[in-house]
Amino acid sequence: MLIRDILEESEKKYAEIKAVKWLKKKGIYERSYRELMKNVVKVRKGLLAEGFQGKHIALIGTSSVEWIESYLGIITGKNVAVPLDAGLPGEDLIDLINRSDSEALFLSPKNKALLEEVSVGCPKLKKIWMLQEEEPEGSDEKTVSLASLMAVSKNSDADADRPDPEDMATIIFTSGTTGKSKGVMLTQNNLATNVIAVNYTREPGTVMLSVLPIHHAFCLVMDWLKGFSLGATVCINDSLLHMVKNMGLFKPDVMLMVPLMLETIYKRLSAASPLIPKKMVAAKAFGGNLKIIFTGGAHLDPYYIDKFADYGIEVLEGYGMSECSPVISSNLPEDHKAGSIGRPLSNVEIAFEDGEILVKGSSVMKGYYKMPEETAETLRDGWLHTGDKGYLDEDGFLFINGRVKNLIILSNGENISPEEIENKLALGKLVGEVIVTGEDNGLTARIYPDQDVVAAKRMSEEKIHTELQAFLDQYNKNQPSYRQITGLVVRKNPFIRNSTKKIKRQDALIDEALPTT
Amino acid sequence: MTQEMQFKKIVAQYCKTEPEKITNDMRFREDLGFSSLDFMSFLGELEDTFDIELEEEDLVQILTVAEALEMMERLKAEA
Repeated sequence: MLIRDILEESEKKYAEIKAVKWLKKKGIYERSYRELMKNVVKVRKGLLAEGFQGKHIALIGTSSVEWIESYLGIITGKNVAVPLDAGLPGEDLIDLINRSDSEALFLSPKNKALLEEVSVGCPKLKKIWMLQEEEPEGSDEKTVSLASLMAVSKNSDADADRPDPEDMATIIFTSGTTGKSKGVMLTQNNLATNVIAVNYTREPGTVMLSVLPIHHAFCLVMDWLKGFSLGATVCINDSLLHMVKNMGLFKPDVMLMVPLMLETIYKRLSAASPLIPKKMVAAKAFGGNLKIIFTGGAHLDPYYIDKFADYGIEVLEGYGMSECSPVISSNLPEDHKAGSIGRPLSNVEIAFEDGEILVKGSSVMKGYYKMPEETAETLRDGWLHTGDKGYLDEDGFLFINGRVKNLIILSNGENISPEEIENKLALGKLVGEVIVTGEDNGLTARIYPDQDVVAAKRMSEEKIHTELQAFLDQYNKNQPSYRQITGLVVRKNPFIRNSTKKIKRQDALIDEALPTT
Repeated sequence: MTQEMQFKKIVAQYCKTEPEKITNDMRFREDLGFSSLDFMSFLGELEDTFDIELEEEDLVQILTVAEALEMMERLKAEA
């Protein structure tokens, strides 16, 4: 099955229904399924006319109608889309563009500051299309607007061939445990079967408000692709600053969230006077139509399921990872159990090895792009090793109760590789040893100061703390919020090491002088 | 109610600290326990309450209550 099949079916069935709504300068704009697909085809034909077939094409930007039209233009032809996190520092984006062998880039005008850096750092890029109507300032042959790409094929009938179901459709980057992010290769069939296998329906025209980052598999596949398969109207949240306000504006019926969002919203709801009926508070806070919140990406405290039920909202937790396109199991409106992560999807087989959840099925990735060792370690005999420990109960619901791999999972769903951040923090002059841990929903740096520097400068404890905090503040400035360090612990003693002199991560919280032997 | 107290009442909705006990040198993340999303949602509320518009790019600079308060008062004066 292809994503193109799903979209063409929706175009036929829902032509006049609004597919996307978004805000611009306080006005609401919209695109019907017919209009959306017209633009998707223009992008697809434009790419063909420009000689892009079987190529990798990156996208940098937050959610926008132009972003999704470009993404679909790429994957409905024979090209491969590489969505990247627009919040990453330039050097990381350059590395990902190069490592994914991307030969062209769609870039949001909000990120135009990256243009020069990317042009210099990514010599393989032949074209950069700015996601805007008007021609960019100082545009040249290489850098033009999305509108001009769409115009290339105006008078041409030539359209890209349909991809094969087993062709790679997209590469999605995910945190790697070795400190290097890995490109998850997903095929057309991986994505399309995941869309179909998440078994819930809504009336065409149902309103969804998309608040998660679009480069994440959960948002991309379950808000956008699943939404389009249902004939939903997907509304774009322009900024996390305005999430609550936009819920009131678009009045969604269904939303996807990460647990962090439920926690923040609940704080706000419970701050309302207890004298006001809960249904009324909910109507004001959520727009009055919200019935379902699907949540995933990190574990949700079941406490919130009951609390949201008081406001008439059903919270349904699911489980997945980019490597599985991404959903593996989900609670559904008609079929759910609190505390579980739902039943495995119909296209998924589950097994366990020493308690670790293994997954097989049509949504499991092909592998990590150009990382054969990591692929072999994760995919063994067709089974994907999830790194999570869990069990199935007697009714067939899946539960999680631990992790095998060394990744920090924050309640915003971001998976953080501590090594990746430690490598950067270790560059600080005053940093002798550092370990990053996940605590209180944020990242804490535990640092043992470099004793040579301390002695040379005769630094007091207070001075050490101030200087390290200033160093972290500086580091945080260039990082997306989920990679910022929110806690600092200055150690008095070095970390405990094992016999091969590696820091024992599980003992990182212990700060005692080593016994002298 | 002073503008500052109104501001601190909004802060207090996201943490367990009473508005009167919130001092200007407190850091949102470390001292008041704000998550990144609490912080964004709080700033969105500042926009609505004080009728100001924030630029997302400027927000990374704000770490303490004093810095947010100063930004709000500056934008309010400019509006």
